[in-house]
Amino acid sequence: MMNNLCCGPGYASPYEATKAPREKILYTIAIYTGTGIQKPDYLATIDVDPESPNFSKIIHRLEMPRIGDELHHMGWNACSSCYNDPNMKRSFLIIPGVRSNNIYIIDTATNPFSPSIYKIIESSEIKLKTNLSGPHTVHCLESKIIISFLGDAKGNAPGGYLLLNKEFDILGRWENSMGEISFSYDFWYQPRYNVMISSEWAAPNTFMPGFDLEEVGHLKYGRRLHIWDFKKREPIQTMYLGEDGLIPLEVKFSHNPNSSHGFCGAALSTNVIHFWRSEEGNWEWEKIIDIDNEPHPDWPIPIPGVMSAILISMDDKYLYLNNWLHGDMRQYDISNPHKPKLTGQIWMGGLLGRAPVVNGVKIAGGPQMFQLSLDGKRLYVTTSLFSTWDNQFYPKMKKLGGAMIMIDCDTINGGMQINENFIVNFGKEPNGPSRCHETRYPGGDCTSDIWL
Amino acid sequence: MAVKKIIIANRNNISFKVLGKKPLLEELYSQGLDIPFGCKYGGCITCAAKLLKGKVDQSSQVALNNRQIKNGYVLLCVAQAITDCIFEVGVESHDKLYRNPFLDKLEPHELKADIVNKNIDEI
Ligand code: FES
Repeated sequence: MMNNLCCGPGYASPYEATKAPREKILYTIAIYTGTGIQKPDYLATIDVDPESPNFSKIIHRLEMPRIGDELHHMGWNACSSCYNDPNMKRSFLIIPGVRSNNIYIIDTATNPFSPSIYKIIESSEIKLKTNLSGPHTVHCLESKIIISFLGDAKGNAPGGYLLLNKEFDILGRWENSMGEISFSYDFWYQPRYNVMISSEWAAPNTFMPGFDLEEVGHLKYGRRLHIWDFKKREPIQTMYLGEDGLIPLEVKFSHNPNSSHGFCGAALSTNVIHFWRSEEGNWEWEKIIDIDNEPHPDWPIPIPGVMSAILISMDDKYLYLNNWLHGDMRQYDISNPHKPKLTGQIWMGGLLGRAPVVNGVKIAGGPQMFQLSLDGKRLYVTTSLFSTWDNQFYPKMKKLGGAMIMIDCDTINGGMQINENFIVNFGKEPNGPSRCHETRYPGGDCTSDIWL
Repeated sequence: MAVKKIIIANRNNISFKVLGKKPLLEELYSQGLDIPFGCKYGGCITCAAKLLKGKVDQSSQVALNNRQIKNGYVLLCVAQAITDCIFEVGVESHDKLYRNPFLDKLEPHELKADIVNKNIDEI
């Protein structure tokens, strides 16, 4: 859509991607699951064109046909890994329901302003053919699509990977072996190093009902990263992160396909783990960011930040992270990945009470999911994590719903500032307060594209 | 097999008749009760309801911890009625289902059954 000069979808390089036209609309997941409102989750289309009279408004809502999916993360059918294939187009969003296990294929090309359901991959078919449940991360991989699943059909760890073709037929399991892996969650691959890395949340039966701190001590939550031989489709090395890496969630490689550097946010330890391949060819790791727990008058122990997401700008210069319970978003310059420099910080919501109201809207929750524009200048941030966890930590979200804010990012000197002209209040939705989660742009975004 | 009467206290005491052979969610949903559900295998607590009176068999559930069970929560997608029952359903019944895990810790016996049983085995 954005780039049809040469070949397939996406961009020739990360640098080319940063030159793409500015995003005009966003697709954001909004959920009613767990809120008490008996309505299906939906995909909201948000107008972000500053020239449009509807700027900062939801202009379309695509309801799923069922109630209770808990839409969570999503991905594109094609990305820059298909750049050399003129037959491929970035025209479908793949949205799994993490609770229901249904996978919705959404046509965003026919009319980008009012996407429609193209196909549903039924939970029963997935369970029957692959014995998987609890879908999470979706990555395009040239002619195929891989989706990580956190559990088997009964919700027990470690789950595995579903392989789809580009017609969205189930081809089976992607991996040849899960090796000794205990848990699954996020993954990213870097083809020039023949490597994939995967992280660990917990079994669906453990995290779906909510978070019990004691279960971390009983090893029901992850603390490892796994290096895979990407071609052989099997794990070859485990990095035991221990107390520094409790609940390692989002994991990203640099966008530069020649770089072996990558990062992971350990949610409960609230640390950033940096990993890379050494000159000797071994995979190494170190902790590069450690967010201190913060005291709170009503809490017996200081509050951990809970870093549920990280994101790397398309030029690999900045790393963004959230502290969902504290309420801040941070920007770090990672030009030297061993020594990140804090360059920006803003507050929105959170339990520390630093910014209970943003642009006139009461925020229940804290910064949680975020998506960065390809040029790195606009960061869109939402507030809901996962319905049961929201209900535990931010019970007011039931009444107030979620919100999306936009942060202007200084890509030259560093720095972040909340844009005062933009806020989407999901608390005022026609069917009642909903909660917003992950965001994607039609032209590709900073968490979708991989270069071969 | 005797028919059981199921009353939903927070839906104007509407009552249903079930055979107790299938999970309550399936029986009640097919008779028109609109309640949230997700996984349908007792793993996600979306369908949790509060049992005010009566007895159920929910032995195949794997998601509730012992505190939640003690507070009367039942996962309707796997629970079968053993006697007549009175329930509160939906998110309105979830006041004691969620707690802040840092402010209010679980005692060892209040954890999920698989952990408690494993600990007992180890002792
Ligand atoms: S629907 Fe998931 S526990 Fe009942």
